[in-house]
Amino acid sequence: MKILRIPAVREFLRILLAVVAALLLGFIITLLVSEDPIGAYKAFLTGPLSKFNRFGDWLEESITLIFVGLAVAVAFKSKQFSLGAEGQLLLGALVSGAIALFVPLPGILRIPVALLAAAAVGFIYGWIPGYLKAHLNANEIVSTLMLNTIALKLYDYFLIFHIKPPNAGYNASDFFPKAGVLPSFVPPFMGEIYTRFSQQTNVTIMLYIMIAAFIAAYYMMFRTPFGYELRMIGANIKFANYGGINTKRTIILVFAISGIFGGLAGAHLAMGIHTKLIMNISLGMGFEGIVVATLARNNPLFVPLAGLAYGYLRAGADVMERASDVSREMVLVIQAIIILLVTAEGLLPVIQQRVAARRSANGQNAAALEGGENG
Amino acid sequence: MAALVEMRNIVKIYPNGVVANNGVNFSVERGEIHALVGENGAGKTTLMKVLYGLEHPTSGEILIEGKPVHFHSPDDAIAAGIGMVHQNFMLVPSFTIAENIVLGKEPTRRGLLDKAEAIRITEELSRQYGLKVEADAVVETVNVGMRQRVEILKTLYRGAEILILDEPTAVLTPQETQDLFRAVRKLVAQGKTVIFITHKLREVKEISDRVTVMRNGKVMGTLPTAEATREGLARMMVGRDVFLEVNKPPVQRGRKVMEVQDVSYVSETGRSMLKGVSFNVYAGEILGVAGVEGNGQTELVEVLTGLRPAASGRVLIDGKDILNRTPREVRLAGVAHIPEDRLTNGLALTASINENVIVDRYYNKPYRKGLLIDYKQVNKLGEALIDEFDIRTPSGLLPVSSLSGGNMQKVIVAREFSFNPHILIAAQPTRGIDVGATEFIRDQLVRKRTAGTGVLLVSADLAEVMSLSDRIIVMYEGEITGVFPNAQEVSEEELGLYMLGLKRQTPEEMEAYL
Amino acid sequence: MVELVLRGIFSAFFVASVLRISTPLILPALGGLVSELAGATNIALEGIMLTSAFTGVVISAYTKSVFLGVLAGILSGILIAALLAYFHLYLQTDLFLAGIALNIMATGGTIFLLYVLTGDKGNSSTLASGAVPNVTIPMIHDMPVLGTIVSGHNIFVYLGVLLTWLTSVMLYRTPFGVHLRAVGENPVAAESLGINVRLMRLYAILISGALASLGGLNLSMAYLTLFQREMTAGRGFIALAAVFLGGRTPWGTFIAAVLFGFFDALSNQLGSLKVPSMWVQMIPYVATIVALVVYALRKRAIYLERARKFQERHLAELQARGARPHETG
Repeated sequence: MKILRIPAVREFLRILLAVVAALLLGFIITLLVSEDPIGAYKAFLTGPLSKFNRFGDWLEESITLIFVGLAVAVAFKSKQFSLGAEGQLLLGALVSGAIALFVPLPGILRIPVALLAAAAVGFIYGWIPGYLKAHLNANEIVSTLMLNTIALKLYDYFLIFHIKPPNAGYNASDFFPKAGVLPSFVPPFMGEIYTRFSQQTNVTIMLYIMIAAFIAAYYMMFRTPFGYELRMIGANIKFANYGGINTKRTIILVFAISGIFGGLAGAHLAMGIHTKLIMNISLGMGFEGIVVATLARNNPLFVPLAGLAYGYLRAGADVMERASDVSREMVLVIQAIIILLVTAEGLLPVIQQRVAARRSANGQNAAALEGGENG
Repeated sequence: MAALVEMRNIVKIYPNGVVANNGVNFSVERGEIHALVGENGAGKTTLMKVLYGLEHPTSGEILIEGKPVHFHSPDDAIAAGIGMVHQNFMLVPSFTIAENIVLGKEPTRRGLLDKAEAIRITEELSRQYGLKVEADAVVETVNVGMRQRVEILKTLYRGAEILILDEPTAVLTPQETQDLFRAVRKLVAQGKTVIFITHKLREVKEISDRVTVMRNGKVMGTLPTAEATREGLARMMVGRDVFLEVNKPPVQRGRKVMEVQDVSYVSETGRSMLKGVSFNVYAGEILGVAGVEGNGQTELVEVLTGLRPAASGRVLIDGKDILNRTPREVRLAGVAHIPEDRLTNGLALTASINENVIVDRYYNKPYRKGLLIDYKQVNKLGEALIDEFDIRTPSGLLPVSSLSGGNMQKVIVAREFSFNPHILIAAQPTRGIDVGATEFIRDQLVRKRTAGTGVLLVSADLAEVMSLSDRIIVMYEGEITGVFPNAQEVSEEELGLYMLGLKRQTPEEMEAYL
Repeated sequence: MVELVLRGIFSAFFVASVLRISTPLILPALGGLVSELAGATNIALEGIMLTSAFTGVVISAYTKSVFLGVLAGILSGILIAALLAYFHLYLQTDLFLAGIALNIMATGGTIFLLYVLTGDKGNSSTLASGAVPNVTIPMIHDMPVLGTIVSGHNIFVYLGVLLTWLTSVMLYRTPFGVHLRAVGENPVAAESLGINVRLMRLYAILISGALASLGGLNLSMAYLTLFQREMTAGRGFIALAAVFLGGRTPWGTFIAAVLFGFFDALSNQLGSLKVPSMWVQMIPYVATIVALVVYALRKRAIYLERARKFQERHLAELQARGARPHETG
């Protein structure tokens, strides 16, 4: 089939096959453990569409995932393996939450300030490992992991010792005042639609910001000079250097910009979904961003699709858990299988290479002995 | 008495079509030091890799002591008593010398390493063959000469009777070379046989009993060293090749585009790779740098293009010193660079052809429009260049990896030419490329030169240097040892002697023409 | 109040608690060390620990045998490691991504199975799982200070020390260990000497799986005898940090792991002081970053120094030969 020759089509099919295979495996697991496997799996696959608030859950979780996915995609595309999204997320949540709670500005100012602050803190927290990598060649995996934990400790400290109201029973802040909560993405004058969305879901204007973000990320990566530098460094850093690209400066910026998205993800969690600061607000989403980015092949254009798809599985698992005897963690197993299958580069190429090698070996020898070439 | 090693009719064709060995007959007598000489690409390393089991011959046979053998891997060759010391050392830096020598075949006592035994073995071998090493020194800290002795001891430890040394003196200082020769003589005195790959004729005369000359995958002759003259050997090595007739209008030199003043460079391991190199390049000429690879040309090019820092001296372009500046600054000064290693430096394989071509100009108009890159312009440029340089591809949007080697090089050439440099530095521009692309690129170089660009051509292909250059300088051991202001008036044999270090001009002789 | 805490820290009990808390860091760190030295960094230590912690609890509860539980735990850890090795070495999956995937799989899989088996997603308290015993060393146990520090620990604590020593012996005194380190440092050289690089890396990953699994079992079958969701709490990653902080040697890794454990124990003590424990907990992480920076700066300083010395020598040589700079050409 000629259409299979296009590499993009092949990639997409490969990912699709991986997802299908993983889902099948998941079904087999369900068969083994559930008393009503079909019911459970049906809930899993159709759950997010079954009820309105579930649909909302799907969307809002996906938004977080998309932001984190963008953070990871931007870095990984340049072959910088930053794992710092988790930490950037936490600090973004912390800073935006603090502003939401304590800065006496009207909502129309308070929210943008909080968002900007989250983006800024993410930028700075991304800049740090970027600098270490660019100028000192410090391993970014270790440094970002360490920074993640440091961020977590900072978050916990400020939450428990400074933000938590003194008479609170458990470790959480007050709910944010209305001026510090992200408004629904539907404007109030839309009447009934507004009521439905704002009361049953937490889908906020972050949706629009997310759309702007991924479009901006896409343009940045594929249409700006900086994005060109980013991609060339990812393709061959020696080439980038030879061609004149300032690799040190670009690498630092890559980490920092990735941090912006991480910080915004945190702001979304704090001001959109939870509307307060709680312990364990991140739930390891920083790492799930890696799944999303991998599915999207580190291309911001596909991150929303990957984020929604992955978010769908997550939300479906939630529904499945409530409707059956299968726990939601099964989706994590499916995730893992998807990653393994999608990234197993060796599966297809090995077969391709063997075919190509056999073909060339037959044609080459005869021609070579006649022609002769300078070795 | 049958020869110890006999290689009959060896043919080796690589998958990319290159014929490295074309019916080679080669034999070695027991107890002799046999030199195998030839230029780069002559096929001598390939032949030895076949003997050592690293490569499988396309056809032909090998006999050891009269019995045919088939080596599937170095293990088989080692078992047959053959050992090879490669040009690139295969040592583990943080291990001691003794540990490196016994690696893979460690002496043990009750399952644990017997370090004392390893040291004893090392010292024993060291003493027996006169190869001085410090058994418990960490390899990272010892000098290159000792590292090489470690490699030799490694082969002896595995019972090598026949030692293949691949260009062993390439990395040694003159004193270390003498030490090596003493060691080789001692080895032979103890019954070993040595095959010595080299291109340095002085050493051939000094150390070997017999010498075999290879050129272009074939053996040109084998003779006792006593009967060979250096000139005779040089003639066999360099030979009368048919070199391409290039239509070149007479040279019209313009102003100086690059002044290289006393550039020196010392490598990380302490070797002096460039020793006070000075020359000028003028607009409208091709200055060819002739020389066998490994005499500092690579380092020179990298220093001139900003890829290698920490050199001393000055490189002036229009009065501005660009030495030790970033690659971008060097390019902005008008220097284009066709790199020696196109896959490593010159291209990003997974990126598209068009994107590879704009790496030096993506941030400028017309390719940049405001905050964005104008890909319409980029693609237009790509199309134009594909057309102009006859790059065989259906589309500039395809990744560079889809091209053949020759076409990949054309992409680099297209890019470097099209940014209208004052000076173009081309390093090994046609190495490993099919004939059609080679002709094309050479033609383009001449055109550029005639149009007024200054070209610095570095090539190990003597025929290429001679036919393309207007002026030729010869590099030997990090220095310029000869300059020929008129390339038409020097013969290959003459150049060959300079390249092999047999002749040199004094600084006074050269001053006027550099 | 402060005095009480200080006295608490400088006590034998505290030292003992440090050892206790460090062990589930030491064990996976040793695993990380082995795989790292072979050139195949095992990011999946966390997932392996979780898997083995869970498997040990479950099997020991159902077979009523501690021994079988531990055995099953170790085997399950090796299985995960085998998956990692297979995907990376034979299917060319990026080591890093495969490790992350397996961590996710373990996190999800253990909670999932926990729920299936016990109907509880928090912990396995309903299962009567086994406990690996403590060891009382006869005479030492009754000695005042030494007794508390050295005796009475769970077997795993002694295993931690023993395995550190064994790992050291293996890496530096056996041919296998030498081959493993050679493969990590210069795989081309190793291959040229007949050492099968891929096979060595496979072994290294499997060993790291076994060691990490012991760490996981330590969590769920020693002082605590149950499995809690996500009970590894990032120890698998701290273990990797300990490897780097410890300079990639067995005893260095041991000390680094103990250092992390020390600060962990310290933060527990400080909890009673109303001093935010977070600052203390942060110290080892900050220290690791500082160590990275110092290491890099040192390397650069050495390189620059060497380059400078050679330049000096070279210029001196030129002058001795009589050449004068900037004259020719």
